[in-house]
Amino acid sequence: MIPTTAEALIGNFMTLIEPPPPEAAGDFTAGKIGVIGMISLLAAQEMEKGAAVRVTENRAMRTLFAEAAEGGWAQAQTERLKALARGEDDDLTITALDRGNAELRTALIALQSAVEDAAGAASLARQKRIARLLREAAQARRLDLPPMPAS
Amino acid sequence: MTIAVESEMALEQRIAAYLTKLWNKPVTVEGLARIPGGASRQTYGFDAVTGAERRGLILRRDPVDSLIDTDRRIEYLAYQSFHPLGVPTPEPLVLDEEGGVLERPFFLMSRIDGGKAASPFSIQPYAPHQKTIGEQFFSILGKIAAADPASLPISQAARIPTPETCWSTELDHWERELDKDELHPHPIGRAAIRRLRRRPPPPAQKLSVVHGDYRSGNFLHDGEGRVLAILDWEMAHVGDPLEDLGWAIDPLWSHFETGTVSGLLPRAETIAIWEKASGLKADPETLAWWELFNSFKGLVIWISAAKSFRDGGGVDPVLGFTGLYCTRRHDLILAEKLEALLEAA
Repeated sequence: MIPTTAEALIGNFMTLIEPPPPEAAGDFTAGKIGVIGMISLLAAQEMEKGAAVRVTENRAMRTLFAEAAEGGWAQAQTERLKALARGEDDDLTITALDRGNAELRTALIALQSAVEDAAGAASLARQKRIARLLREAAQARRLDLPPMPAS
Repeated sequence: MTIAVESEMALEQRIAAYLTKLWNKPVTVEGLARIPGGASRQTYGFDAVTGAERRGLILRRDPVDSLIDTDRRIEYLAYQSFHPLGVPTPEPLVLDEEGGVLERPFFLMSRIDGGKAASPFSIQPYAPHQKTIGEQFFSILGKIAAADPASLPISQAARIPTPETCWSTELDHWERELDKDELHPHPIGRAAIRRLRRRPPPPAQKLSVVHGDYRSGNFLHDGEGRVLAILDWEMAHVGDPLEDLGWAIDPLWSHFETGTVSGLLPRAETIAIWEKASGLKADPETLAWWELFNSFKGLVIWISAAKSFRDGGGVDPVLGFTGLYCTRRHDLILAEKLEALLEAA
């Protein structure tokens, strides 16, 4: 996901070392520092769970591809799905996990589109299966803000 | 060189020089302060002083990097369109698309004092006046929807779709933005596009000016139940009036409340107020299409913000925050909507 936690925190640093011009030194800078604080809170959550979320999401997509490979697609597509399903996340850095995630997500977009183009109850069941996976992945990636009273 | 000399002048001096030339009398600028928010334009408040006369003004200047690329001429014309109609807005005063002494395009408008805008992520920002504010907020939206765009200044610059093409014009635009700015694949956004195209809405019941960002946080209120000004018209365009209603209803703007729209009113009451003020109907299925579309549009805005954050070296924390937080909120909002639609099939 963009920005990465590293990019967000480096951005915080870059923002803080740049002195504001006089006309931006009051409420504007106070607001900016508030946003930097919120980014820090989000980054803390992402640092705690970011790798696990990506590993789980990638695993869920691979499981889905393994199931989908039994779905009677053309041979090339079936082989592609099987190859994707065999993948593993050996490198647990966020950069590597995101690289693998991008490949899997691209394949998922193609699969979901193909499933939607097919008619019938089996197609609907597969669509629901993919929709559930996407909702669970989005739920897992969600970051939360603390309750903030109105100023 | 002239440009170098101008760049070394303080912004305050440059504004004073501009106004002195514009008004043909000596002007000094006092209390210049950048205003938080407004990620698509740099916004400053100041007093322009000429002799004994003091006038509160707002400067909206194009940024180097922006949350969204928008046309400041259309934004200016939107203010020109609705200020005379009694929609509470600042009075637009002058537009300079060349930028001149201020280096980037800008416009000036009157300043409305004594108001505050809620943070979209605060809790109960309008209590205890949410009902009164909600009635005004959605009546004003109905009034905007009821106006005939062809009779308004905004028609000088806005592209005018047909009622049949309102939806596709907007969806095409935001899909292009996603294609341009997507740095990581977004299956939920892509699924939303396919769903929206497979089941398009009927033609718009009329063409209206669409504010484009009509939501909690984009208006000033006085803290005692009165809406003072509708702001941030930078995404204004002509289209289906239900588009704005769908954006205001989006859960991202609900202040974490599940039972109200924009933290103001229950959904049914919101729609009834809008229908009465606009004289239009909010067909549930058509409105549902525009709600799904708006959640997709929101997702693309945040994806674009994240790209701008990266391209700009990470020095605008608002872009970073929206890329980090709002993208995921809208991903989840969209995923829940898409799953619910399938479960209902």
